[in-house]
Amino acid sequence: MLQRIAIICSAAVIAACGPVAEHAQVEQDGLVYCSEGNPEGFNPQLGTSGTTVDATSAQIYDRLLDYDAKRQQFIPALARGWQALDSGTRYRFDLRTDVAFHHTDWFTPTRKFNADDVVFSFNRWLSPQHSYHHVNGGRYPFFRSSGLIRLIHSIERIDEYTVDIKLNQPDSSFLANLATDFAVILSEEYGQQLLRNNQPEQIDRLPVGTGPFQFELFRKDFIIRYQRHEGYWREAPEIKRLVYVITPNANKRMLKLLTGECDVIPYPLVNELSQLDQDAEIKVGSSVSPNVSFWAFNTKRPPFDNVLVRRALAHAINRPAIVQTIYDGNARLASGMLPETSWAYSDVEQTYPYDPAKARELLAQAGYPNGFSMSIWAMPVQRAYNPNAQRMAELMQADLARIGIDATIVSYEWNTFRQRLVAGQHDSVLIGWVADNADPDNFFRPILSCAAARSGNNRAMWCNPEFDKLLVAAISESDIDQRKHLYQFIEDMVMQQAPLVPIANSLRYQAHRSDVEGVELPPYGGINFRYARRVSDDSL
Amino acid sequence: MIRYSLRRVVLLIITLWLLTLLLFSLNYWYPGDPLTNMSGITANNTIAYQQAELARGFDQGLFSQYVLFLQHLLHGDWGISLVTEQPVFGEIKPLLGATLELGLLAMALALVLGIPLGVYAAIQQRGALDRVIMGMSLSAYSIPVFWLAQLFILLFALKLSWSPISGQINPLYAIDVQTGSVLIDILISDSPYKTAAFYNALHHLWVPVVVLAIMPLTMLIRIMRNSVLDVLQQNYIKAARARGLNDRHIMFRHTLPNAMQPIVRQLGLQFSVLMTNIIITEVIFNWPGVGSWLVKSIYERDFPVIQAGLLVLATLILLVNVFVDVIHAWRYPQIRKEIDAE
Repeated sequence: MLQRIAIICSAAVIAACGPVAEHAQVEQDGLVYCSEGNPEGFNPQLGTSGTTVDATSAQIYDRLLDYDAKRQQFIPALARGWQALDSGTRYRFDLRTDVAFHHTDWFTPTRKFNADDVVFSFNRWLSPQHSYHHVNGGRYPFFRSSGLIRLIHSIERIDEYTVDIKLNQPDSSFLANLATDFAVILSEEYGQQLLRNNQPEQIDRLPVGTGPFQFELFRKDFIIRYQRHEGYWREAPEIKRLVYVITPNANKRMLKLLTGECDVIPYPLVNELSQLDQDAEIKVGSSVSPNVSFWAFNTKRPPFDNVLVRRALAHAINRPAIVQTIYDGNARLASGMLPETSWAYSDVEQTYPYDPAKARELLAQAGYPNGFSMSIWAMPVQRAYNPNAQRMAELMQADLARIGIDATIVSYEWNTFRQRLVAGQHDSVLIGWVADNADPDNFFRPILSCAAARSGNNRAMWCNPEFDKLLVAAISESDIDQRKHLYQFIEDMVMQQAPLVPIANSLRYQAHRSDVEGVELPPYGGINFRYARRVSDDSL
Repeated sequence: MIRYSLRRVVLLIITLWLLTLLLFSLNYWYPGDPLTNMSGITANNTIAYQQAELARGFDQGLFSQYVLFLQHLLHGDWGISLVTEQPVFGEIKPLLGATLELGLLAMALALVLGIPLGVYAAIQQRGALDRVIMGMSLSAYSIPVFWLAQLFILLFALKLSWSPISGQINPLYAIDVQTGSVLIDILISDSPYKTAAFYNALHHLWVPVVVLAIMPLTMLIRIMRNSVLDVLQQNYIKAARARGLNDRHIMFRHTLPNAMQPIVRQLGLQFSVLMTNIIITEVIFNWPGVGSWLVKSIYERDFPVIQAGLLVLATLILLVNVFVDVIHAWRYPQIRKEIDAE
């Protein structure tokens, strides 16, 4: 019986090899990226999830300016140039005149990109009066927690291709924030069309942008399909089709890369990287990703509102052992919030050493000599900063048991997980942060400020007005040595108050088949397929 | 016959009615707001929530809520998904198409291979080949699907590269989903690469189909063998032999038609087993069908989708069973007598 099956099977296989030429052509023109999860939507303004950014920012949209991480400078994108006026409280942007929006089944643009689109896109998150401000949740966590919403006073159209942005005070991180993946430009004309058709929520589901690829279709849990934007204003990408196949299982992603079903995968399993590296068909790329994984306590809930308890917990876990087990040499033990790559980094140790005796003593001081029980929420997905949160939680569970704390591990599907975190249903959570821009401010304001606590991005729910004052002082300062000094001060305060325990800074990996070239993994922000191309076999 | 059919249909309707009662109660048993569980509309969306409250009778008693629930169900208004916020009913069609494609192909494969093998084993009774066939079918029957699927992936996809690991088709072919059945979708698409796409789809299809077919196949072989042996013992076969009819004539005119009777009766049962296995297979092969949809909705606590998935799968199994019963009774009158005599 099995023999017969085998015969039938091989017949099917032989048959499948028939139209090889056609087959090769389709594969040659396209690229398959096996992404790790569903995007929450197709507008990065609305979220901070790396998966959403990967699926949208660099592919569908453009920004006013981009950041070149290699040369550490801003480069023009939709804005040809800009100048700071009125001692840094007004920025004037001079826009490009030759930028076309996507022409899709659901939208036919009648005009090119102009100042109206910039004003429309910025006011969407800036102004509560904007007709789209409350559409699809109306939360703009990046803009709220990075402080852009309060920083920008107004945005004004000067003429068709000039826009002024007025700030409430000078801010040295302003341009860096505009160059992030979140500050994308939408089409104002499309927005008006949807309003007329009375379906404004479609703006984030059937997106229209100016980016190198245009959105075609999304099937939740299966695929996202893009095609090349033929009228792209920069050099158009070489690949005609781009498909994201949603593959949450890390093992399956690796296997599909091996069989050639995926051309590029994010977050390959760290332990198997070395093995992959030896495979001639597969190449592993890495970038120094400015990230930090941490263990945040919900400081709104007792007993975590007590700083002694938080310090005790920080002493209780064996971080070096955890980092060794989970990252297998692909990460550095965090010595504070800022990673080594940041210019404000100093090598002063700003964390608590592993010391169970000290932890028990602190717990006793706090009034819990016999410990207590708590939950550790572990992310269900892999992230560059934490490839296996579940395993990490198990290790911590064992460490905590040693000081009499009974920890249970909790996990949900990723989107549910995040929603429940925002609602503050956790005791503590293992999560992390990938910086959106090169400014050190990005490591504190989006994760620990009061604004972030209100927008739900502050996983510690921690709000300390003094800390916020320090943050404001640090961004209003323009002297770099002074700023560095201030950020060290801020680091110290994070350590003293211990709303979270920094664990590791890791490298971000992606693996691709060796016939694919030019897939960019910029240190700040999402993956970029604009330069991706296939190298034909004969040139290998 | 008509009376029998009517009885089956009435039984079907009663079972479906019980199913709707269960589904309705589930909304109250799930954690959270029953109206949200039912309609997928959260209380944050105030206007829509109030409308749903009225439309679904949440200002009235349980009984009118249930009546309105049935009305919504019959009108295809199955609420919206809590995750995607898309109407659940609209999502089902392509998923059902994909599930049916997989299920029917597997069933067809099992029938096409199982019947001849069973007959062959019966003719060779106690011969070496009979033992081989029966031994293999017993061991294949004992292999759980989730393990077999992984094993096939390891062997055919990774070691031999005869098939891809998962999915319906290489997504670069950009075949638009219409019926959900990938082969039909390719045929009605206007892709310039139709032939290549078709082969590519077959290439993806064969492993899950074989995995699914194994379980019913082994059952069919065993049933067919026993049934043929049984029929061969009957007096009418002996009489035919005595009249000097040749073996081939006896086999095709007398033995097979009668031996098929237990097979037809088994088909309904086998279909239920197949549907259970299809859920697992779809998850493993990332097949965009109702089964994997149901499993994901459980992970995501997407209650409207869980209900819809349950309803669709249960209804499908019930319908097929009733259909098979009716066909069976219509084809084999002696069964009808047995039933009527009860």
